[in-house]
Amino acid sequence: MKRLLLAALLLASCGQTGSPDLKVSDAWARETVAGQTSTAAYLTISNQGTADDRLLSIAASEPAKATIHATESSGGISRMRELSSGLAVPAGSKIELKPGGTHVMIMDLGAPLRRGDTLKLRLRFEKSGEKPVDVRVAPATGPESH
Amino acid sequence: MRSLRIVLWVLVAIAAAVFAYVMLKPVPTAQPQDEAFSLASFGGPFTLTGSDGKPFTSSALSGKPYGIFFGFTHCPDVCPTTLARMVKLRNKLGAGARPFEIVFVTVDPERDGPAEVGKYAELFNSSVIGLTGTPAQISQVKKQFGIYSRKVPDQSGSYSVDHTATVLLFDRNGRFTGTIAPEESDTAALAKLKRITS
Repeated sequence: MKRLLLAALLLASCGQTGSPDLKVSDAWARETVAGQTSTAAYLTISNQGTADDRLLSIAASEPAKATIHATESSGGISRMRELSSGLAVPAGSKIELKPGGTHVMIMDLGAPLRRGDTLKLRLRFEKSGEKPVDVRVAPATGPESH
Repeated sequence: MRSLRIVLWVLVAIAAAVFAYVMLKPVPTAQPQDEAFSLASFGGPFTLTGSDGKPFTSSALSGKPYGIFFGFTHCPDVCPTTLARMVKLRNKLGAGARPFEIVFVTVDPERDGPAEVGKYAELFNSSVIGLTGTPAQISQVKKQFGIYSRKVPDQSGSYSVDHTATVLLFDRNGRFTGTIAPEESDTAALAKLKRITS
């Protein structure tokens, strides 16, 4: 079913002209405490171009790894799952990765992330290629609080 | 070409609808098994381990309203988001004396010892009571509070934990008064917190 959906999507988007124009903004990651090796990062991707794109994968600096995750909730139960086929960024759309929803899961951190640090990520898109993003490390209570 | 595209987009829509149905279909949630279950007995006394490694009994909470949340320290998104929100709402209710306690209980006692829950609780720059226990103690407390959790292997050879992400509210007499769900608005959540603290 997933395959059919993908195949049909691919075919249907053939004939689309133009190119995607991506901007990544508002990137922040939650600080961690000693011993904590995972956290989440959030960001906004806007596509002001005329073609769709797709976020395929994310790389972090060694030894850390980054994956695209979604938090799903139903019946009061929350589940975290990797989005293995990536994240669609349609033309004209603004995709917000935010707390409690789709997020970048950071694993295997070599050292704790402290507020004020910068975490470097590389976002790999199907059409736009690789985009480096500087992610600001903010308090657990969010980037707006200090 | 144009009609082919239309046909294909219709296919996309049908496939998406089926996919959405499969994904969004309600999953049965854990219900307390006890037939004698009633709101009056919900929660109830418990003994766990505090971040100092010493026993923590629920009597330490008597006379204080509290919100209790079950999670795990390797949880990067929902758990810190929920605890940060509870701290934010508590600050909104009034500075100075804490109008209610925030209790965090791990559902992953195999990885979260007293030190882990203690350090995790410190992330929020505010008093959060972090608790762990033996797997048997945790499983008992989960039953008392109607909490579901299940370990799910992830792609890195480790695991994540699916779990109830609702905050349970208790008044100063230890009576269960309501819940705060992640998708609920701050206004609705504040109203419930005002009720347990007034």
